[in-house]
Amino acid sequence: MSSVVSNYSLPAPQESPGLWTLAWRRLLGDRVGLVCLAIVATYLAMMMASWAGLVARDWNKEKGVSYANPAFLAGAENLEAREVTNRDFASKAKPVDLSDIDPLAPRYKEWEERAAKIAVTEVKRSETLPFGGDKWGRDVLEKAVKGSEVSIFVGLTAALFATMIGTVLGAMAGYWGGKVNDFLEWFYNIFTSIPYILLILAFAAVFKRGLDTIIVILALTGWTGIYRLVRAEYIKHCGREYVKAAQAIGASHLSRMFVHILPNASHVILVQLSQHVVSFIKAEVILSFLGLGVPVDMVSWGTMLAEAQNELVIGKWWQLFAAGASMAILVTAFSMLTDSLRDALDPKLK
Amino acid sequence: MPRPAALLAACLACAVLAAGPAAGAVERKVLRVALRTAEAGFDPQRIFDRYSVGIVENIFEPLLTYDYLARPVRLVPLTAEAIPEPEEGGTRYTFRIRPGILFADDPAFKGRKRELVARDIEYSVKRFRDPRYASPYEWLFEHKIAGLDEVADAAKKTGRFDYDAKVAGLEVRDRYTISFKLLEPDFNFLYVLAMPNVVPVAREVIEAYGDDTMAHPVGTGPFVLKDWVRRSKIVLERNPNHRGYELDPRWADPADEWDRRAIDELAGRRLPLLDRVEIFPIEEEQPRFLAWINHEHDYLDETPAEFIEQVLPNGRLAPALARQHVAVFREEQPEVTYDVFNLEDPVVGGYGPERVALRRALVLAHDRDQEISILRKGQAIPAQSAVPPGVVGYDAGFRASQQDHDPARAKALLDLFGYLDRDGDGWRESPEGKPLALDYKYNAGSQSNRQLAELWVKSAAAVGVRLSASAVQFVDLLNDKRVGKFQMAGSAWIADYPDAQNFLQLFYGPNTGQSNEARFRLAQFDALYRRSLAVPDGAERNALYREMNRLILAYAPWRLGVHRVFNHLLYPWVKGYKKHPILYTNFKYLDLDVAARQAAVK
Amino acid sequence: MTAYVIRRLWQMIPTLAGVILLIFFLFNWVGGDPAQVLAGKISNPEQIANIRKQLGVDQPYWYQLWVFVQQVFTFDFGRSWSTNEEVSRILLTRVGPTLTIMVPVLLLETTLAVLFAIMVAYVRGSLTDRAIMVICTTAMSISFLVYIIVGQWLFGFILGWFPVQGWSESYWRNLTNYAPLPIMLAIFVGLAPQLRLFRSFFLEEINQDYVRTARAKGLPEKKVMLKHVLRNALIPILTNVGIHLPGVFVGSFLLEVFFSIPGLGREIVTAVNRSDFPVIKAVTVYLAMLTMIVNLLVDVTYKLVDPRVSFK
Repeated sequence: MSSVVSNYSLPAPQESPGLWTLAWRRLLGDRVGLVCLAIVATYLAMMMASWAGLVARDWNKEKGVSYANPAFLAGAENLEAREVTNRDFASKAKPVDLSDIDPLAPRYKEWEERAAKIAVTEVKRSETLPFGGDKWGRDVLEKAVKGSEVSIFVGLTAALFATMIGTVLGAMAGYWGGKVNDFLEWFYNIFTSIPYILLILAFAAVFKRGLDTIIVILALTGWTGIYRLVRAEYIKHCGREYVKAAQAIGASHLSRMFVHILPNASHVILVQLSQHVVSFIKAEVILSFLGLGVPVDMVSWGTMLAEAQNELVIGKWWQLFAAGASMAILVTAFSMLTDSLRDALDPKLK
Repeated sequence: MPRPAALLAACLACAVLAAGPAAGAVERKVLRVALRTAEAGFDPQRIFDRYSVGIVENIFEPLLTYDYLARPVRLVPLTAEAIPEPEEGGTRYTFRIRPGILFADDPAFKGRKRELVARDIEYSVKRFRDPRYASPYEWLFEHKIAGLDEVADAAKKTGRFDYDAKVAGLEVRDRYTISFKLLEPDFNFLYVLAMPNVVPVAREVIEAYGDDTMAHPVGTGPFVLKDWVRRSKIVLERNPNHRGYELDPRWADPADEWDRRAIDELAGRRLPLLDRVEIFPIEEEQPRFLAWINHEHDYLDETPAEFIEQVLPNGRLAPALARQHVAVFREEQPEVTYDVFNLEDPVVGGYGPERVALRRALVLAHDRDQEISILRKGQAIPAQSAVPPGVVGYDAGFRASQQDHDPARAKALLDLFGYLDRDGDGWRESPEGKPLALDYKYNAGSQSNRQLAELWVKSAAAVGVRLSASAVQFVDLLNDKRVGKFQMAGSAWIADYPDAQNFLQLFYGPNTGQSNEARFRLAQFDALYRRSLAVPDGAERNALYREMNRLILAYAPWRLGVHRVFNHLLYPWVKGYKKHPILYTNFKYLDLDVAARQAAVK
Repeated sequence: MTAYVIRRLWQMIPTLAGVILLIFFLFNWVGGDPAQVLAGKISNPEQIANIRKQLGVDQPYWYQLWVFVQQVFTFDFGRSWSTNEEVSRILLTRVGPTLTIMVPVLLLETTLAVLFAIMVAYVRGSLTDRAIMVICTTAMSISFLVYIIVGQWLFGFILGWFPVQGWSESYWRNLTNYAPLPIMLAIFVGLAPQLRLFRSFFLEEINQDYVRTARAKGLPEKKVMLKHVLRNALIPILTNVGIHLPGVFVGSFLLEVFFSIPGLGREIVTAVNRSDFPVIKAVTVYLAMLTMIVNLLVDVTYKLVDPRVSFK
C-alpha cells in the first residue's frame, strides 16, 4: 500500500492527532457510519448496563412456564409446558424408615420442627413472556441482553489480546529486522501454514474448558494477520526522518518503537482490532457449539444458539431468533463501522 | 437446483432396488436404522460401548441368551445345549455346546467350514485377560476363574499371553464340553455368559487379522459384517452358514399386544427374515429425528426427549403419525442416572453427621421434578434406590423420601448442622465458618449434561449453597472420577446383566478406584455385599439388598437420579418388534413389509 | 525458476520443523492423558498403566518427539485411539466426501463471486452497489450455525426439496442428492465475504493508470472491465483461492456434523471430543505441508499469469 502522505511531514508524534481529527471529520460526514456507530454504542451501553446490573438483572429468574409463548403469540398451544402427569410413579408405598441406621436420626425431631417453619413459596409462572421463554421459562429477550455481555466481552478481550500479540511481534520484526525478523517470520509461517479452523480445533482439543480458554484460543490463533500488517507499517516507518530525528535526540529503541512509530501505525491497528472483534464474536458461537467454555451460570449468544439447535423443530423459534438477530445486528453494524473507519482513516484505500 | 420430493422418493426406491443382487430378483428385505452414537468397532472382547456391543449381538452368539418375549427376562440356551445347574456350591458350571454350529465363512478358514468347539470358548475367555487387548470387560474374569489370574499375571510380566497354558478353571473336557471352575461361589455367573460380548471368536481369525480385529468380526451369529464405513455406515447381511432360529412363544404374555403381534408375524418361520441391515450412526439429534420423519429410516430408536411433544403430544401419538399407523414402544430401561459425591473430599466427603447432612441436604435441594418434567420431558421415573426396575432383586415397594425435592427440609438440615450464612453475603458457610463453594464436573461435549449441571447450580443456589459447574473433556472426566479428583459429578449405569448386584457393586469399598466412583467405604455395607454374593436369588438375598439400599440412602454417596424411559417409534412395515431390556438390537426377529414401505414412501 | 522452487522447498524445512514442534508441544505436553478413553467402564490402575505403555505416553519427551518425527515422514501415525483404525486410512477414506462438498463449493463460490463482483464494480457507487454491499454485510453477520439449523429444517423438512441428511457410496448420488443442500448453505455463507473482497480487488484495478489509458483510448467500459480489469484482478483472486484451498480439506465440520457427511471435518470434531490425538496430529501436520506446497504453487502460477512478477 502507498503511504499516508500527510504523515510524512509530521516531525513528532504529538501532532498526529491531526490525522485523527481529520478522520473524525470524515466519519461525521458518513451517515451510514454514524448510524452504525450509534448501534454499536447502544450495544456497548447495553452491555455495560447489564454488567452493572441495571438491565436484565434477573435474566436467570424463571418467570414463565417452559417455552412460554411470546406475548404476540399468546393464544398458541404450548405442549411443552404441560404438567408432567406421570410424576407420581408406580410406588405409593410408605417411605422406607432409616431411623435405626441414619447418622442424622438423633436430630429427626428438631429437623422436622425447623422444616415446618420454613415457608416455601410457589412462584406463579406466567403463560407468556414479552419475547417468549426458554426451556426453563426464562425470558429470551433478557437472555439475549445478558448474552451480549459475555459475547462482546469475549470478542473485545480476545481481539485486544490478539492485537497486542500481533502488534508487539509485528513491531519487533519490523523494527529490528534481521535475526529477530527471521525468527518471527518463522513463527508466523508456522501458524499460518495450519488452516485457521484446524488450529482452533487443535488448541481446543488440549485446553481445559472455561471462558478464559476461549479468549486464549482466539488470541493465540488470531494474531497473525495483525502481525503482518504492523510489521509492514514498521518497515515503512523505520526509514522515515522523524524516527531518525528521534534517534538523534537519544530516544531509546523502546521509545522509538512504541512512542514514536506506534501512533503512526495505529490507524491500521484500530481497523484490524475492530475486524477481529467481529470475527471473534462469530467464532465464540462455534466454540460454544463444541461445548468449550461459557460456564453454565452465564449466557452468551453462542450458548443460546447451541441450546436452541433443536428448538426450531419443536416450533419454538424465538430463542434462535433472539440470539441470531441480536448477533447479526451488532456484527453488521460493527463491520460497516469498520469499513467507514477504514475509509475515514485512510481515504486512499477506498 | 431444488428437486421435488417425488424425485427423492424415486431415488430411495432405486436404492432399495440397487441393493438387490440383480434386476428382477426377489425383493430383498433391507432394514435401515440410525445409531445414536458412533460405533467403536466389532471385536467383542475389546469394546464396551452399548452401541458397538449392540451390533456385535448380531454377528456372534454367546452360550446363553435371553428369551425374546419373556418378561422379566429369562435365560435360554443358545449355542449351549442346556442351561447348566450350579455344581460344587455355585463354583462350577459345565456346558455342552450343540454340535454342528458353524462360523461364517472367512478367508482365515482357508475355504473350509469351521465348527464351533469348546476350545473357542476357552480362547475367548482368555482374551479378556490378555494385556495386549486391554479389554474393558477384563473385570468380569478377574479373581474369578481358577488358575486364570496366574496366567494373566505371567502375561503382564512377559508381555505375551500364553494361550496354550492350561487353566484349571477353563477345563475343556471334550470337543464340545467346557467346564468353568470359579474361585468363589457366584450365582450370577450364567448372566456373564449371556453377555453379548462374552462370545466365542475363532483363534485363526484373530491371529490372521492382528491389529485389525475390530473390522473383521467372524462369528456364528445370524448376520455378518458386509461393509463398514466407520462412523458413517455399517452393513450387516444374512449369514448363509447360519442354522436359523425359531421364535419360542412359550414365555410370551398373552395379554401383551406386542407379544401377540410378534407371535402372529413370526411363529413357525425360519429366522432371521431380513436380508440386510444398514445402520447409520448420526450423533446430532435434529438430523436423526428428521431423517426418520422423512422415512429415510424404518424405526427411530430412543426418540430424543426434546422432540417427544412432537410425536407424543399429551402422551398420545401425534395425528400425523397416527395416520401412518406408527407404533410406539415404551421402554423402561434397566439403568440408573446419578450424581456421585466424592466421599474422600474434605468438604462433601466423610461419614460424620454434619458431612452426611450436607450431602443429604444437597440431595433434597436438587429439583428432580424439574429434571424430569423439563429436561427429560416426563420420560423418566424417579429412582428410589440404586437398583432399576427390570433387574432381579429390584424391590417395587422400596420408596425413598430422602431423595425427593424438598427445599424446606434441605434448608432446615443445613441450618441444624451449622451451615449458616454468617457474613450475610447470601451464601452459607461451613460449620467451621469457612466459605463453602462446591464444584460439579460435567462433560463439556454434551448439551444435555450442560443442562443437568445448570439445574444443579440453580437448585443449590435456591437453598443458599454456592455451587459452580466446570466443564471438562469427556476423557478428563472419566479420569478425574476414577482417581477421585472431583467433588460432585454426573454418571449413569446400565445393566450388564439383570441382577441388582451389578448396581450395588458400585458402592463396594474394594471397588474404589474402579467402578466405585464415590469412593464409598462403609464396613457395614461391604459386609452385606460380601454376604449377598454367596446367596442365590431369593428372599434372603433380597433382604440383604434392601439393607444395602437403606445404607445408601442414609449416607448419600449418590444423589439418585432417574430411570429413563425410552420411546421407540416404528413404521407399520416393521414386523415382529419387541425391545429387550438387556440386549440392544433385535434384528434377528424383525421382518419388513417391503411393499408397504414402498407404497408409503411414495 | 527451478532454482527458485528449490530454494522455496528448502525454506519449508524450518517451518515444517516448527509445525511439528508446535503440535508436539500441544498434544504431548499440554494435552491430557488419553489412557482413560480406552480403559472402559471398570478399570484398575494397572490396566491404565498398561494402556499408557502401549500408547508410548510413558516414554520421555525426547523419545516421543523422535517417534512423532518418524511418524510424519513414514506417513504412519499408527492407529486412532478411539476406533483403532489406521490413521492413514481414516485420512484417505474421509477426504473423498469432504471434497465432494467443498470442491463444488469453492468453484461455484469463486465463479459467482467473480461474476457478481465485476457486475457490482461496474455499477460502483450506485444504489445497487450499495444495496448489495449492505446485503452482503448482513448475510455475513448471521452465524453459520443458524444457516445450517434453519436451512436443514426449511429445505430438508418443511419444503422437502432435499434429503435431511445422509450419504451413500455412489458418487453421483451423493452429488445429485445429498450434496446440494450443504453446498448451497456453504455458498450462502461464503459468497458474501468473497464478493466484498473481490469487489475491492476490482476497484483497486479500476483506479490504476492503465485503465484510465484504456478508457482514454476510447475502449467501451465493458471491454475495459472484461479484458483489462478482470485479467489483472485475477492475481489477487487467485491468491485468495490459494489461501482457501487447504482449508477445503477440513471442510466445514459443522455441515458434515449436521448432514452426516463422513468427511474429515466431522472426523476431527469427533477426535477433539474424544481426545483422539493421533488423528488430529496427523491431519494438522499434513494440512500444514499441503498449505506450504499450495502457497508455492500459487507463487509459481503468478509467474505464468503475470510475467511482471519476478522471482527474487
